[in-house]
Amino acid sequence: MIGLNGSLSIATEALGAQTAALEVASNNIANAITPGYSRQVVSLSSAALVQNGTTIDEGVSYQGFTSVRDTVLGMAINGATSEQGSLSAQSALLTQINSAFSGTTTGIGASLSTLFSDLSALSTNPSDPSARQTVLNDAKALADAFHQGAAAISAASSAANQQVSSAVAEVNELSQQIAALNGEIATTDANGGDGGALTDQRDELTTQMAQLIGISSTKTDGTPMLTTSNGSPLVIGDSSYQLQVTTALDGTAHVLDGQGNDITNLLSGGTIGGAITARDSTVPALSQQLDALASQFGTAMNNAQTTGYDLDSNPGTAMFAIPATGSAAAGIEVALTSGSQIAASSDGSTGSSGNIKALLSVQSTDLASGATPTDSYASLVGNIGFAGSQVNSSLAANTASLQQLTSQQQSESAVSIDEETANLIRYQQAYSASARVISTINDIYTTLMNMSLGGS
Amino acid sequence: MRVDPNLSGLLNAGIQGTEQALNTAVQQLASGQRVSLPSDDPDAAAANLQSLAESANVDRYTKNGDATLSQAQMADSALSNVVNELNQAIALGTQGADGSMTSENRATIATQVQSVLSEVVSQANTALNGVSLFAGTSGAVPAFVPDSTSSTGYSYQGDSGVNTVAVGDNLQLNVNVPGDQVFTNPNGNVLGSLSELVSALGSGTTADIGNAVTAVRGALTNIGQQRVLYAGVVNQINAQESYLSQETISLTSQQQSLTGVDMSVAISDLTQAQIAHSTILAAAAKVLPTSLLDYLK
Repeated sequence: MIGLNGSLSIATEALGAQTAALEVASNNIANAITPGYSRQVVSLSSAALVQNGTTIDEGVSYQGFTSVRDTVLGMAINGATSEQGSLSAQSALLTQINSAFSGTTTGIGASLSTLFSDLSALSTNPSDPSARQTVLNDAKALADAFHQGAAAISAASSAANQQVSSAVAEVNELSQQIAALNGEIATTDANGGDGGALTDQRDELTTQMAQLIGISSTKTDGTPMLTTSNGSPLVIGDSSYQLQVTTALDGTAHVLDGQGNDITNLLSGGTIGGAITARDSTVPALSQQLDALASQFGTAMNNAQTTGYDLDSNPGTAMFAIPATGSAAAGIEVALTSGSQIAASSDGSTGSSGNIKALLSVQSTDLASGATPTDSYASLVGNIGFAGSQVNSSLAANTASLQQLTSQQQSESAVSIDEETANLIRYQQAYSASARVISTINDIYTTLMNMSLGGS
Repeated sequence: MRVDPNLSGLLNAGIQGTEQALNTAVQQLASGQRVSLPSDDPDAAAANLQSLAESANVDRYTKNGDATLSQAQMADSALSNVVNELNQAIALGTQGADGSMTSENRATIATQVQSVLSEVVSQANTALNGVSLFAGTSGAVPAFVPDSTSSTGYSYQGDSGVNTVAVGDNLQLNVNVPGDQVFTNPNGNVLGSLSELVSALGSGTTADIGNAVTAVRGALTNIGQQRVLYAGVVNQINAQESYLSQETISLTSQQQSLTGVDMSVAISDLTQAQIAHSTILAAAAKVLPTSLLDYLK
């Protein structure tokens, strides 16, 4: 049997619990728009005591608060975020290349057409010096177009290198912050506290890191571990492992793990993984195709030149100088110095246009690649387009799924102002009721006092 | 089950989506192009480049045709002048072959035929843009020069080369006839027969003059045959050019359908994007401001 004192202490206890609940609600409202914040719920239970086989109700017991979060969903979001980081990086780099090859009235394709058109025009008046000069200028314009194409592709590679370097610096900073948070969380956990807000901060930083590099997060014997997709440690407990960037002989940025192992080719996901994929697999294939076109086309034109004679009846010489090593597209130059060196004549007579046929036939003859120069260029542009559109559509799909995952996570963890407002009202009412209990007991005591004093 | 309380996130994503659609629709309408980057439609972008190259070829075939046409017409008109001159020489020769002619009269006629010969040579030396039309591929200017050692008084500077010009993927036209084939052809030697007529009128018998006139007639026949080539070139170019202009139209429409915008589709896309956009904005305006707090006054 509980007396008035028991009721009073239950009500006082209740006031405390309800204050705690109000505090949780107010904290939730305060963090309603804080990124990464998971809503907290107060843990209350009815306190009871069993004495001599009888249950004695002891009011409410406040057991702290817990953050509502789904770790599995969090990992899925990190995975999708990594994917997004990778695809975004690739998309940006490929869009850059796509813009450079989007010209229909400029660029390699148009320059090829102009060269052949003016060569063809030369056939109607093969000894005209200005028509010859025009062809020579066209050849130079074509070489320039090749240079620009090669430059656009290599610019994408250097942009990728910069992305790798700056993203690694960010990853290192994040891993330090995460390690520091891990230390604090371990301390609060040890003291029986809820890591709550700190865990939210760590999860938020982890997601930021996932945007930069593919990660996997595990827990071994209670120690949280964050590693790259290939298993190189980034954070173990409260210590962080710094990645390094070195520049290889070919000028590309390589990533080394904390032990100094080159893990460039093992990384996937995130800005770093995307930049490396674009730089090391997508872009080289395109650049090889461009170089092959420059070198095979140049060789074909040079061969056609040698079957004819120039305006001074000398045997034709190479039209293009093609570098023996390195990028043919970046290094191709016009070797002829004067329009008179164009080998239009097939027999050495100055008015002959017989060899122009041979030069023009380069346009319609398959190169070593198995296609004509125009078709080879069209296929290169097609491949550039495919690479871009593939990444773009994957990115669109990934964005949709990330959105869905985020919304799912939000439905678990986000603060709902309406919900908190409703809770506030409930807590307030409960608090008022508890306070009323106290004042009622106070009234009873007063009545009792008055009764004992005046009721003799 | 709890739902995502943050409608703003969903609405923002939706608004971005409809804005993107609006943007794309406006951009396509403004540029008239459906494909602005190869990644918009790689197949179409590649096919468009091939079609553009084909268009460039058609353009150059047309230009070559124009250039060749003016050359052929000029050569043909030179030869037509030669025909007139030869007819005049035949008339003069026939007149000179008349037995009643005195040697003075014949000498006068001989002078006239001599001037016909010079006129024919000047036609044979016709040049366009500094290039002799009847010097083969030698580039020699002029094609015929006076030469006292030659029986005709002129010698040919050119060669027997023939140039061809492409006016179609598989259509190469021979665009010139070498001067020796036209003017000093053994089967109808223009210059030879005219100088033969001059000397027959100067010192020959009536029969010699008659023979010379017959030789000039033979030369006339030869010129007629050579003119056929130029007439053929002119006809072929005219036919080819009307084919090429058809080709240009079909290539242009091909490019339009590959990368261009179908206006009716683009406009209906724009309308749809507009409707979607205003719908989501209206939804946002309705949903976002509502809060339980509004009702707790």
